[in-house]
Amino acid sequence: MDPITSYLGIACLLFTIGGIGLCLRRNAIVLFMCVEMMLNAVNLAFVAFSKIHGNLDGQVAVFFVMVIAAAESAIGLAIILSVFRSVASIETTDAAELKW
Amino acid sequence: MSFMEFVLAAIGIASAVGVVGFRNPLSSAFSLILHLLAIAGLYALLGAHFLAVSQVVVYAGAIMVLVLFVLMLLNLKSESGRRIGIVRSALTVGIGLVIFLSISAPMLAQFADLPQATLEQNMKASEGGVKAIGELLYSQYMVQFELSSLVLLVGVVGAVMLAKRKNVQLMPREGGMGGVK
Repeated sequence: MDPITSYLGIACLLFTIGGIGLCLRRNAIVLFMCVEMMLNAVNLAFVAFSKIHGNLDGQVAVFFVMVIAAAESAIGLAIILSVFRSVASIETTDAAELKW
Repeated sequence: MSFMEFVLAAIGIASAVGVVGFRNPLSSAFSLILHLLAIAGLYALLGAHFLAVSQVVVYAGAIMVLVLFVLMLLNLKSESGRRIGIVRSALTVGIGLVIFLSISAPMLAQFADLPQATLEQNMKASEGGVKAIGELLYSQYMVQFELSSLVLLVGVVGAVMLAKRKNVQLMPREGGMGGVK
């Protein structure tokens, strides 16, 4: 296998591990970290594609994904904090009622 | 695959498993930092130098400090008692395996027979230094770049708004709107 395609394999594997974590864990912050990991796997695939096709558009896409991830982490952690203030827990099973 | 790539990929995958596997969220967070650093190393090996540096600064630096800060603030105990059932985890891993195969098989088949000569040529053309990325960002992707600054602004304002909000009223009040005071 070509070395560049093995990067795509690694990216797929990391994406899958993140998805499995998203299904298995219940702690909201760990779920958040799994999402970050999946975003990173896609970023790695983007960089590999940019290498394969020989232009920098993929790397610019990774830059924008990083910007979105930064904004998302600020909002997501604020939401987790306000959920913690209402139900005194960040386990997703404790916040499953949709009303207070 | 060179030795360095192999080591970094192994560290990245092992620490990714660590993020999912550790029961203490703090251990997961530190494992994620290791994961992000390993991926940054892979970026550097792929020639994306600017992305490698911003991965370390933005992800492993800023975002993970925010996550660790919230973890310390909430002062959580590690998940107690309730273990995840063996059937459920086996099922999840099985579904994950199916997803992995269905993503990776077409992707790898697509790039299996690339002509080696053009590939070598392309690899030299995509060296992502600060200058190359910057020129692209300020010319072809100008509008998107400005919009991303708007997204960051909205994110900051939204986070402040969520954090400053008073506690939600738990019981509905008589004749009033209830809810947020």
